[in-house]
Amino acid sequence: MSHTGPPVVSVHPSRAMVDEAFKVQVENLPPGFPVTLHSLHQSEDKDYWEAFGHYVSDHRGTVSVADDLSCGGTYTGKEAMGLLWSMRPVPGSREGLRLRKLNVCIPQLVNISVYSGHVGVGFREQDPLASVLTERWYMAPGVRRIDIKEKGVRGTLFIPHGPGPFPGLLDMWGGGGGLLEYRSALLASHGYASMALEYFNPAEVNTAELELNYFETAFNIVRDHPQVMSDRVGLFGLSLGSIVSISLAALSSVVKPRCCVCISGNHTRARGGTIGGVFNEFFKNVHKVRMDENNYEIWRGMGLPIPDDISQKVDVGKINCPILLVNGDDDQNWPTVESAEDMAQMMRAAGNEHLLTRLEYPDAGHLIEPPYSPHFRATKFIKGGQKVILLWGGTTKPHSDAQEDSWKKILAFLQQNMYSSSGPRAKL
Amino acid sequence: MNSCHLQHKAQVPGGVRWTSSCRLAPLLTASPVRALIDDKISIRGHFLPPRCPVTVCAQMQSDDGDLWEAFAHFNTNVNGTVNLTRDPSVGGSYLGCEPMGLLWGLQPAPWAREGLRLRKKKVETPYVMLMSLLKGHVSPSERPSTELAALTAERWYMAPGVRRIEIRQNGVVGTLFLPPGPGPFPAMLDLWGMGGGLVEYRSALFASRGYASFSLAYIGHKDLPGPQNRINVGDPYFKSAFKLLQDHPQVYPDRIGIIGLSFGVYLTLRLASHSDIKPSCLICINGPAGSTIKLADADGRTEQIENDQKYWTYDDQGNVSFRAVSLPVNLSPESKVKLEHLTCPLMYIVGEDDLSASSIENANLIEETLSAAGKSQLFTRLSYPGAGHLIEPPYTPNSRASLWSVKPQKLVTLWGGHLAPHAAAQEDSWKKILEFMETNLRH
Repeated sequence: MSHTGPPVVSVHPSRAMVDEAFKVQVENLPPGFPVTLHSLHQSEDKDYWEAFGHYVSDHRGTVSVADDLSCGGTYTGKEAMGLLWSMRPVPGSREGLRLRKLNVCIPQLVNISVYSGHVGVGFREQDPLASVLTERWYMAPGVRRIDIKEKGVRGTLFIPHGPGPFPGLLDMWGGGGGLLEYRSALLASHGYASMALEYFNPAEVNTAELELNYFETAFNIVRDHPQVMSDRVGLFGLSLGSIVSISLAALSSVVKPRCCVCISGNHTRARGGTIGGVFNEFFKNVHKVRMDENNYEIWRGMGLPIPDDISQKVDVGKINCPILLVNGDDDQNWPTVESAEDMAQMMRAAGNEHLLTRLEYPDAGHLIEPPYSPHFRATKFIKGGQKVILLWGGTTKPHSDAQEDSWKKILAFLQQNMYSSSGPRAKL
Repeated sequence: MNSCHLQHKAQVPGGVRWTSSCRLAPLLTASPVRALIDDKISIRGHFLPPRCPVTVCAQMQSDDGDLWEAFAHFNTNVNGTVNLTRDPSVGGSYLGCEPMGLLWGLQPAPWAREGLRLRKKKVETPYVMLMSLLKGHVSPSERPSTELAALTAERWYMAPGVRRIEIRQNGVVGTLFLPPGPGPFPAMLDLWGMGGGLVEYRSALFASRGYASFSLAYIGHKDLPGPQNRINVGDPYFKSAFKLLQDHPQVYPDRIGIIGLSFGVYLTLRLASHSDIKPSCLICINGPAGSTIKLADADGRTEQIENDQKYWTYDDQGNVSFRAVSLPVNLSPESKVKLEHLTCPLMYIVGEDDLSASSIENANLIEETLSAAGKSQLFTRLSYPGAGHLIEPPYTPNSRASLWSVKPQKLVTLWGGHLAPHAAAQEDSWKKILEFMETNLRH
């Protein structure tokens, strides 16, 4: 019998939703033994992302990531999910990468390995003591994915399993454009019929003629779906999508959202009522764009100062549904916290401030995504046909805390306003 | 915001246009929604009216297309929730607080074929479970009933990264499951009963728990020599299988255990009694220490397995029990394994309602023999009242009887075991099996 039994690493659950926590454990090590826990993921773009933590086994030869402290690596301290949220591209990767799942029907595969000693580099060149594979899913079993191409609207609708009807959501991403399905798939897995809307192609920003009625039509497609409760349809946006949501909630006579979740948004008014108009509004101040030491673009200055002239702002005093604003105070892309403060003042003056909930997170950046996603401080962006790198801001640990906390609160807000039998309530 | 009438717009087949004065959108959740077979699942209903009757039902289709169902009746609490981890079932397939009752309580649907047993043939795909939350205390076959919410859950025998490898080597027929990772791994040799074929699901689960595991066929498989109703292999075959595991580059040669169910117990004990085979531990479930049927001898002579028919007994429905076949007094003396030669820990698991094997008697025999040889410290017995012959991985339903053969005549055999105690036996024994393996194969 060999004198050292083989160590075992385990992840439970081995198949989980992306917003579910897992427990990573190593057993059967010698006591007091230094090890490195390492995660590795190959993205759909074929880039490699990794994270690692340094641990020492206890007297029974066990390391439990949920209970023990990492003393080094891409994260430190007691961080059950550090192996996911602290992931970053492996050394030698291209610059400005962002991890976004395009095919939501298959899981993200993450390899979790344990290495002998405290290792920081060269994981691919040595054999781990043990390793295990875990699946992270955006879509629960039974959720249906439906391509929508109707009345000029392009999107993907995700419907939960069951007889329905379900509360609905119109889900809009930001100025990066395209069609990103993963948040809608995840929301459907929580019981919301959610449509991810394609509305913006960054290459076409100069000719983007999308008016509010595109979004009204999209909203009504969700509202009129036989498996959606017509009076329980909300809006969910990030960045440019939040601007659209705020505009719809305040200005549309057609769209009556049950509630709104707006991440990293602001109340810039679309000049001429088009999305192209919003961008033109931004770039009036293009001289205020600064570059950081890496030549990453900081756009935040373009939004300051917040105009006093209300014709340049959406009249948020007209909003009559609960609205949740989620922002990071290190947002380098837009002065979202200052905008939220201004919105609060406008709503206070109009007497509808009771509908507003503000979540602001210290040292979090612009891209507040579902929990355990890696932090993207600066990534590639297409601006007017050019490739630039935008600084989004945030420091990894506080940003990840913001993602985790805000998601919990977003789900509670949605549940309160869309599922609960009592009427909608603004305050959480 | 005032409550108003809900218009149910979906035309669900057989569904009811539901109007209610209370605007509710009930939700049914399960966590984890993709689980391993031996993982517990937490099932909950939310946003229901308080203190009202609901039914939770589960449906699962076997690989052969048969439908299995279970249901349980609950009353929601004052907050309008039902939580199967906390709340007792007051009617249906099981009673009392049983978080996994909808799984082990699955029974063939009323119109299903008779004599069914639930066994997964394709271990690389999950069981898909459809769960529904229904209004009132109903049974699933009562139509129409209002479905309030539903969900789909998956149950897997194989964890991500587990590799399934078909082995046809040195005449050995089996399937090897390897955990993910570089290895090497401790291993199990996995032996089943006279039903024959190649039963993979227990090995798949062992690999999902970090053990290399090899399911071995020895009768009733097309890739084995000779007629399928005879054991055409002998001692050399089982030794080859053990050595194949030992020689595998990703297996620790001195950390291999053997597990056997039913006739597989005899094979386990016989293999371990050879001086050149040194397993680290043995797990024996409801099987004999000897045999009425000979394995193929050195000259390849075999015996028809129906030769033990003289010990078969029948109940008044014509169902057959094989129990007496393995009574120690009926086992051929030369077949009785020389248990005194065993050198490793042995765990024997008894279902006290076993109608297919004389498990209690054989457990006694093994215990006495080891004791007489001064080796009682090697023996552990787990005995479960109300459990039957087929003590398998947990949260799967027991069949008290199932179809054994269709030719020369249709025969249903009795396994024994009552639903709830058998389920408790499976849950407890599986935990103890894994602990026993950890102690003997990892430390």
